[in-house]
Amino acid sequence: MIRILDITLKDLTQLMRDAKTFMFLLIMPILFTLLFGYASGAFSSNKSDSRLPVGYLNEDNRWVAQSLHDILADSETIRLVEYSSATTSDLEALVTDGKLAAAIIVPRGYGQAMLKNKTAHLIVIADTGSTAWITIQAETLTAVSRLDGALRTATIADDMLGDRAPFRYAFDQTLAAWQDPPIKVVETTSSVVPKVTGSGMSLAHTSPGMMLQFSIAGLLTAAQVIVVERKSRTLQRLLTTSVRRIHILLGHYLAIFTLIFSQFMILIAFGQLALKVEYMRAPGATLLVAFSAALCISAMGLLIGIIAKSEEQAVILSIVPMFLFSGLGGAWVPLEVTGETFQLIGHLTPVAWAMDGFKNVIVRGFGLDSVLIPAAALMAYAILFFTLAAWRLNVSEER
Amino acid sequence: MNNSPAIEVLNLHRSFGGNKAVQGVSFEVKQGEIFSLLGPNGAGKTTTISMLSCLLRPDEGDARVMGHSIRSDQMGVKSALGVVPQEIALYEDLTARENLNFWGKMYGLRGSALKIRVDEVLEIIGLSDRARERVGKYSGGMKRRVNIGVALLHKPKVIYMDEPTVGIDPQSRRNILDSVIALKNQGMTVLYTTHYMEESQEISDHIAIMDHGKVIASGTHEELVKLIGGQARIELTLNTNAENVIAEWKTVEGVDSVTAEEEKISALVNDSNLVLPRLFESATRHSARITSVEIREPNLESVFLHLTGRALRD
Repeated sequence: MIRILDITLKDLTQLMRDAKTFMFLLIMPILFTLLFGYASGAFSSNKSDSRLPVGYLNEDNRWVAQSLHDILADSETIRLVEYSSATTSDLEALVTDGKLAAAIIVPRGYGQAMLKNKTAHLIVIADTGSTAWITIQAETLTAVSRLDGALRTATIADDMLGDRAPFRYAFDQTLAAWQDPPIKVVETTSSVVPKVTGSGMSLAHTSPGMMLQFSIAGLLTAAQVIVVERKSRTLQRLLTTSVRRIHILLGHYLAIFTLIFSQFMILIAFGQLALKVEYMRAPGATLLVAFSAALCISAMGLLIGIIAKSEEQAVILSIVPMFLFSGLGGAWVPLEVTGETFQLIGHLTPVAWAMDGFKNVIVRGFGLDSVLIPAAALMAYAILFFTLAAWRLNVSEER
Repeated sequence: MNNSPAIEVLNLHRSFGGNKAVQGVSFEVKQGEIFSLLGPNGAGKTTTISMLSCLLRPDEGDARVMGHSIRSDQMGVKSALGVVPQEIALYEDLTARENLNFWGKMYGLRGSALKIRVDEVLEIIGLSDRARERVGKYSGGMKRRVNIGVALLHKPKVIYMDEPTVGIDPQSRRNILDSVIALKNQGMTVLYTTHYMEESQEISDHIAIMDHGKVIASGTHEELVKLIGGQARIELTLNTNAENVIAEWKTVEGVDSVTAEEEKISALVNDSNLVLPRLFESATRHSARITSVEIREPNLESVFLHLTGRALRD
C-alpha cells in the first residue's frame, strides 16, 4: 500500500516542476473569476447612480416650486439634472438625444396657482412611448399629489386652528409625515436565507464556476504525466516490478486528487477572504462538495491519461470536456436562467452537480443536507470514470 | 548456487491477431550464465522477454524463473527479476537519484538500505557526481546507464536486458557490454536480446538464434558454428549486377549457399582456398570484374545465413 503513496509523491514532484500546473490550477481561475466579476459589475462601486436622469428647469421663484423640487430630488427612481438658463428647445434636444430620460419645466406662476387652488400645469418633455416615461410620470404625479395634499391640509389647518397651526408649519408637517407614513411595506429576508447582493450574486456564481472549469483544464498536465509514463514505457517497467496495477492506478489518482483538492481549498479561501463569497456559511457542506467534485474530476483526469495516445491528445481531451462541461453545466451562465431542457441536459455533466452543491451553500444559504444529492452524483461519476480508466488500462496494457 | 536452471521456457506461444509472434519457443538458462537471444527485428525476442516479465500472458506454454511460474506465481517471478527495457524507461523530469530512489521503493527497498543501494548503483554506473541532474539533460549513453542501474537496485538473481545497446555511441556500448560481463561475474544470470551478432558472440555463454517466432538454433558459440561445418564466408564485390553471376556460383563445387544484394555477393564455402579461384573463373566468363574480396571465418552471421538464407540484418 505504501507504494501507492510513493507513486503519488513522484507524480506530485513531476507536476510541481511543471509551470503549467500552477497556471491552469491557480492563476487562470483567479484571473477569470476577477475578469467575469468585473464584466458582471461585481466590483463596481455601489455609489454609482442608476436613477433616470430628468432635466429640471425652475422658472418660478415661489417657495412652493422649491418644495416640489425637494420632493423630486429625494426620489429613488429619478435624478434631477438642474438647468438654470436652458430653453425648452434645449431640453427637447437633450431628451431626443437620449441624454435625458425626460425634462420637467416649472413655469412661472405655478406655485401661485397651487396656493390659490387653481389649475397648475407642469411642462414635461418626454417620449411617452418609452418605459422610462411610465416611471417618470408616476414619480412626478406622486410628488405633485404630495405637494397638493400638503397645501390643502395646511389650508384647512390654518382655517380651523389659526395661529395654533400656521400655514407653513402645517404644510411642512404634512410633507414630513410622508417620510414616515403610518402604512408601509417592509421587505424582510429569512435569516435562514441571508440576502445576497447583486454583486455578491455575480461572484457567488463566477467563483465556483471558474474554479470547476479550470480544475478540468488543469487535468491536461496531470494527464500528461500518465501519457508520458505510458509512451516512454515506464508504465510497462512499473508492471515488471511487484507493484499491482490497481496500486499504480490509485497512486496516480491520489496525486491528481491531491492537486485538484488543494486547488479547491486555495480558491475557496481566496473566494471567501478576497471576494467575500460565503463558502464558509456551511463549511461542512462546502468541504463535502469540494471533496466529491475533486474525486470526480480526478477520476476524469485519470481516464484522460489512460485514453490519450499522445500529449497533444491529452490536451484536447482535457480542453474539450472543459468547454463542454463548463458550458452545459452552468459554470458560465447560471442554469437557473436557462430553459428546462437545457437544465436537464446540463445535469448530465458533473459540473452542474458541483455548481448546484456550491450554490446551495453560497447563494441559497442551505446546509449540509442540501449538498448530499449533488455530492452523491459527483461520487457516482467518480466511480464511473475510475472504473473506465481501470478497464482501459487493462485493455491497453494487455497481459 | 544449485544446478536448477534460472529460467526454463517451455513451448511458449503468443499471437497478436493473426500474427504468430512466438511459436513454441523453449530454452533453458543456467544460473550465472549470460544467455543471448539473437535474431533480426521482428524475430520474437521482445515478445518472449515480455512473457517472461509477466507483461504478456502466453497463449500456450509456461516458463519458470528461479522456480516461479509466469502463469501461477507472477509476484514470485517479478521479485526475482530486474528488467532493462529496450526504451529508456525513466522519468526525465526527475534527477538520476530521484529516479533510483523511486524505482528502489518500487522494488521494496526502504530507509537506509535504499540510500546505501542507490549510492552503490550510482557508483556502478559512474554517475555519482551527476546524480542531482535531471535525466532529461543526460546524453543517450548516460540515460542507458541509469536505465540499467534501475534494474540492479534490488540485486535481482536474474536480469533481462532487451537490446540495451540500440542507438548509442561505441564507447557507451563498450561500457554496457563490460557491465553485463561484470554482472555475470557477480553471479547474476543475464538474459540478453540483441540483433548484433558481435555482441552476442562476445559476451554469451549460450546463444539461441530466433527467427519468425521460433528458436532455430541453440548452443554455445562453438556449437552453433559447428552447425555449418566450419564453413567460411566469402564476401565479394563485382563491377556489375551480381544477378548474372549468382546462378552459376550456386553450382560451383564447394559452395554451400549464395546470397546477393546488387553488386555484393556473400557465399558460404567449405574451403575458401579451393573455391575462390573457381569464383574468379566464373566471373571472368561473365565478363564481370571482382573489385573486392573478404574472407570471414565462420561466425554467427554465417550460421544465420546458413539456417535462413538471409543475412541477420535483413
